[in-house]
Amino acid sequence: MDQAVLARVPEVFARRVGPALGLADEADVVARACHAMATRFHGGGRLIVFGNGEAATDAQHISVEFVHPVIVGKRALPSFSLTSDVATITGVAATAGLEEVFAHQLRRLAAPQDIALGISSDGGCVNVLRGLETAHRLGLLTLALTGGDDGGPIGRSPAVDHVLIARSADPRVVKEVHVTTYHILWELVHVFFEQPGVLDPRVLP
Amino acid sequence: MSDIEALYPFLYSRSTDLDAVMTSVRESTVEKVDEIVTLRRTVLERDGERIAACAEAMAGAFAAGARLFAFGNGGSSTDAQDVATLFMNPGFTNTGFMNTGGTARPLPAFALTADIAVVTALANDIGFEVVFARQLAASAFAGDIALGLSTSGNSRNLIAAFEEADRRGMLTVGLAGYGGGQMAELGTIDHLFVVPSASVHRIQEAQTTIYHALWELTQQALIRSEAGDSDDGA
Repeated sequence: MDQAVLARVPEVFARRVGPALGLADEADVVARACHAMATRFHGGGRLIVFGNGEAATDAQHISVEFVHPVIVGKRALPSFSLTSDVATITGVAATAGLEEVFAHQLRRLAAPQDIALGISSDGGCVNVLRGLETAHRLGLLTLALTGGDDGGPIGRSPAVDHVLIARSADPRVVKEVHVTTYHILWELVHVFFEQPGVLDPRVLP
Repeated sequence: MSDIEALYPFLYSRSTDLDAVMTSVRESTVEKVDEIVTLRRTVLERDGERIAACAEAMAGAFAAGARLFAFGNGGSSTDAQDVATLFMNPGFTNTGFMNTGGTARPLPAFALTADIAVVTALANDIGFEVVFARQLAASAFAGDIALGLSTSGNSRNLIAAFEEADRRGMLTVGLAGYGGGQMAELGTIDHLFVVPSASVHRIQEAQTTIYHALWELTQQALIRSEAGDSDDGA
């Protein structure tokens, strides 16, 4: 075995620890985001998810998580990703440009009570930002999973109601924090559902 | 009680409830973070050396012209697609192996869940258990890489795919959870990584780390062997 490859393994794993623990520091942001999402679901909203490249697979993972819960007895919640319709994505990209693919779909598919969740490992994806800005104008609740130091342009956008930033410059580590984050979002949205009295939109944390 | 509370008592009782729920969900986040950090440490201790060995085998296969086929169901299908796009299009990255002076190589990879026409045709005409095996039979060569992900280790279409991959002489890599299920019982998977957890969510999170590590170490091994730096004595 190449000893240099073997020697690298502990460093690869060590690089994950700090950013993972960083999510615990965001527990209050997570709780507020879950409460806001649960309130929207309670009002008939749906969760619409989008991202590019590896984050496109996270978008699909999130929608299947809500639609088909892994824990028996949890209710299915309406969700879909904007990354699965290859015909529409390539069609819009070829005419209006890749920057418009998510905004275009949101304008046609979203309702004001819905939730828009955009994912971008460095917070710099223009089409995700445009999607979130469009969603915000339409009245949707907007959330972003981003990374880096400050979440990038998406993390700083006034169009985003709840921003969760994975603090790493390594896009793979950012993705791993995102996976834990959306698993927790799913689980804790259900905790709020089990306490319907706290879902009155007049009651804000 | 103030006048306003007397007018809207429900608002105040709900606020109290909400405070309690908010506190409990904050604690829940902290607990889950601790779980995954601990689980990854366990994976490193149990399988760190085997992860390096698997990455070296994958690098050797790619160097010999292999293509990677990734597959899984549900959430694991999104991981399969993530694996495929990570190998195909790693993009610019400023961490990990870049420190050793290399750049990430795009490597040939397919997700067997991406072609809905093929998946639905096979499922409709034959059955869902063959959707991955039949694609491997049609497209894979000896020496190619089959990488399947399951949390239970029991998905029938994965078992069928690993059996087909074994028949075809592919390098097989499996990611499972719990006790490994039928994937472990097969006994034919060249590199099987079982994440010892009872939580589907934590299993998936640790599996994501494992395939990210496999990718990064595969890149490092390729870069080193191309540069003639490999010290494996081969």
